[in-house]
Amino acid sequence: MGNFQVWREGVLISGKEWGRDKTVQLFQFLIGSMHRRALHKEQIFDRLWEDLDTKSAAQTLKVALHGINKTLEPDRKKRTEPRYIKRQGITYQLSQEDIWLDAYAVEQYIKIGNEAILTEPSIAIKVYREALNLYQGIYLPNRLYEDWSSGERERIQLLILNTTVSLGELLLEENPMESVRLAQEALLIDSTWEDAYCLQMQAYTKKGNRPMAIKTYRQCEQVLKKEFGISPLPETKKLLQTIEAK
Amino acid sequence: MANKKEETASFVLRFTQKVFQSEAGEPEVQWRGNIRHVQGGEEKRFSEFDDALEFIREKLADLTILAMEDKSPEEQKGILAKSFDMWKKMALTAPQLVLDTIKDPKKQMEQMQTQFQSASENISQKLEETIAQKVPIDDWRVSSKSDYKNLVNLIEKLSMNVDQLNKKVDKMSKKK
Repeated sequence: MGNFQVWREGVLISGKEWGRDKTVQLFQFLIGSMHRRALHKEQIFDRLWEDLDTKSAAQTLKVALHGINKTLEPDRKKRTEPRYIKRQGITYQLSQEDIWLDAYAVEQYIKIGNEAILTEPSIAIKVYREALNLYQGIYLPNRLYEDWSSGERERIQLLILNTTVSLGELLLEENPMESVRLAQEALLIDSTWEDAYCLQMQAYTKKGNRPMAIKTYRQCEQVLKKEFGISPLPETKKLLQTIEAK
Repeated sequence: MANKKEETASFVLRFTQKVFQSEAGEPEVQWRGNIRHVQGGEEKRFSEFDDALEFIREKLADLTILAMEDKSPEEQKGILAKSFDMWKKMALTAPQLVLDTIKDPKKQMEQMQTQFQSASENISQKLEETIAQKVPIDDWRVSSKSDYKNLVNLIEKLSMNVDQLNKKVDKMSKKK
């Protein structure tokens, strides 16, 4: 997430070492499915190189696979099996045991947090923090305009949005200003996220800053009006009334 | 020949459901949406599905125009007309699907899931994993009677307007 970077045995691989963009593209595509399934070569052709005929796509795949193996294992001996790309017939998958992926780690932290949120909130706080610390920006930003990466990007962004707000809610009593910061983080991702406005209103109220809580409601009202042509939800209005009555 | 990437438009559509109690205490549901054209990066938010359809229509029209730059004006006219016809058919079906979903979300989702699941048995594993995961529709609530009533009223009003317009057109034709 954020800028695409790969470390080999703790050493950052430079862009030069990757060589052709198609090598990087294939590696990124394999990363997106490494924890779910192996990819059939036709799926790779179809999603990445649909403008190439089958023969050219097969040649491109061969070159890109060679490029990945050479970059990840420059000292691999000839006629030995690649360590990171597992091939079974005509399907390919990256080795889950040997590759650590930030997006996957984030998801695992969030999963643990979601399971612990009701019974062990302190654990949820800890793992949500770990997840958000790992989040350095949207998934593969250099592939923003390529449709094969869109699904994963959208899925991760929603996970991050919900986690940011959940962590803010968990910290409301203990550290309201941190909740404000988290609400603002969520609003940077999606300025129409009404839950984040509610969180910010509650946090400012806890801090005794009533004017800022009311100002937050006005911002929410304006943004929802501008983007959707709708008003905030009745529960948000109710929250405003409670704050105003204080 | 156009590059295949120039022949493709992908859209990421996000719906956020808000279930809440109205100020009158009645249960309500609201949908907020966000649509993004992947290749161009443009985004639009909507609360009316028609706005999303309009966004898609614009992007598809751009794509058609781009693809026929080297054609004669007559050919361009024909292609555009056909493209709009196809779009019209799709645009008429899609809002109906949304209306049916609002009317009875459980039933509609069950039907859609059955269709998806039977289709996914015959297609790639990838598609199976993506759409065969069941949505917890048992947790959904059916939208309130007043939601449905409002929609029906609106549709009836529109039908009446169309009838009135037709009558006017008939009158004018007779006069001629």
